[in-house]
Amino acid sequence: MPRHVAVIMDGNARWARRSAGHEAGVKSLRELTKLCSEWGIGVLTVFAFSSDNWVRPKAEVELLMGLFERVIQMELENFMREGVQVCMIGDSLNLPKSLQKLFADAEEMTKNNSRLQLIAAVSYSGKHGIVQACRTIACKVKDSHLELEDFGERLIERELETSCSEFPCPDLLIRTSGELRLSNFMLWQLAYTELFFVRALWPDFGKAEFIEALLSYQQRQRRYGARVS
Amino acid sequence: MNWRSKSKQRSDGEKQNTAGDNYLKWRKQAQLLRRGSRRTVPVPSSLNVDDILSSPFSDVVRWIRSMGSTNKMRGPNCWTARVGSFGLQLIWHFIHFIISTCYFVLGLADAVDSYVISSGLLKKYNDLNLGKLRYLAIGVDSDEARQTSKVIKLLQWLSDIGMKHVCLYDEEGVLKKSKDAILEKLSHVRLFEETDEKLPLDKKNMNLELASPSDGKEAVAKAANLLFTKHLELKSATEDQGENVFTEANMSEALRALGCSGPEPDLLLVYGPARCHLGFPPWRLRYTEIVHMGPLKSMKHGSLMKAIYKFTLVHQNYGK
Repeated sequence: MPRHVAVIMDGNARWARRSAGHEAGVKSLRELTKLCSEWGIGVLTVFAFSSDNWVRPKAEVELLMGLFERVIQMELENFMREGVQVCMIGDSLNLPKSLQKLFADAEEMTKNNSRLQLIAAVSYSGKHGIVQACRTIACKVKDSHLELEDFGERLIERELETSCSEFPCPDLLIRTSGELRLSNFMLWQLAYTELFFVRALWPDFGKAEFIEALLSYQQRQRRYGARVS
Repeated sequence: MNWRSKSKQRSDGEKQNTAGDNYLKWRKQAQLLRRGSRRTVPVPSSLNVDDILSSPFSDVVRWIRSMGSTNKMRGPNCWTARVGSFGLQLIWHFIHFIISTCYFVLGLADAVDSYVISSGLLKKYNDLNLGKLRYLAIGVDSDEARQTSKVIKLLQWLSDIGMKHVCLYDEEGVLKKSKDAILEKLSHVRLFEETDEKLPLDKKNMNLELASPSDGKEAVAKAANLLFTKHLELKSATEDQGENVFTEANMSEALRALGCSGPEPDLLLVYGPARCHLGFPPWRLRYTEIVHMGPLKSMKHGSLMKAIYKFTLVHQNYGK
């Protein structure tokens, strides 16, 4: 089984107009979290909101921010019961203050949970993440917390936001709705990740589709176990 | 499953790149198996037990073997075991036959589809609208990239289709080493230099860029070094905490200064056994469409045309 699964939850707006698509998407996320927890997957990263999505209509953005707040409030008890640790990556400064506080509280309350680490990428950009890591390193050197002569790949990797996880690089990436691109998601971390693009829209992504994705990942593990010719 | 308890077994401060480690282990295994196949050991007509033992049916097979080896069993138990063993082997052969047939049929359909597209019978593939496909990248598995003749053939197909700007990438820099061999065979292809970006190309010529990891993560690390030097210069002058120095625009500029800043490809076609982008320069992959084409040795002209045609139908919102 992959240790870290990442998901780009695309297709909510196409599934249904207004809020129905996003509400249905929450159900898919709930089910996927449960399956990951049951099947022993250690880390699940979900791409909830891109920094490029801020250009969407204000009404839609406010709807999404409100939805994130409701989901965290409703699910916090479940997370505590199911042993799910919540982490958030992305530029939180752009988020409403109330949502920033909710995420901070959820991270604090669930920090000792160990069954599944759920990383929510909100207001996230892969490029910004790389730049942010470089900025952090520079500040640490400037403040003499770190001594170094040169920036290196490993140092940048250690300072990326995904280093909050023991398995920062996903083994499997799933993108729904048939689109075949990364859309500025975890650009650094996805170098050797199995890419699985599925036609189903995110609200229609369920157990069957997840099994198909896992089989695709496992076939790659066994691809050279076939009969030699 | 407790991912946290497993993580305690690792050394402190060392984050595990399991995706990268898994990929490298899998490639090593694949190379060993391929070398084994070159010894032309005849394939036994019976099933390869080691393959079966690595399959989901391993428990069943071990049980079958244990049945066969229990020669000391006597009487009805022995007969029952033998009949059961035979029955299970029969089921295994049947399932294997069904799956092999399915793969054969799919392969045949793919070959026919590719032939029909290449022959020009389907009009929609004859006149591809390449307006949206300004920059095409090809990622090749390094083992397969050593087959220079295949790479040259692929580039020839792309040139015939009308592609003007192509980037070839592999994760070990094999293609860069084969640069001379490639350019020798393709006279109308010239190496891409950033200064040439704006020079018009005539109908036949094609710009070719060769990339490797030194243009990807390594380049980003070097660019960060450049920005860090600039940041230190501002150290005493201002209280700048890096926000004005470490920006996406400055990073792009630093990469350009290092000569590692080619355009973001519109489409990346990956040739190789693994469905991943093989570490293509991450700074250039933001909205690139990625299509896995299978192994280079099985590349087909029709599949290439189909992938490019499908790309021309794509609509991107860029986050909106």
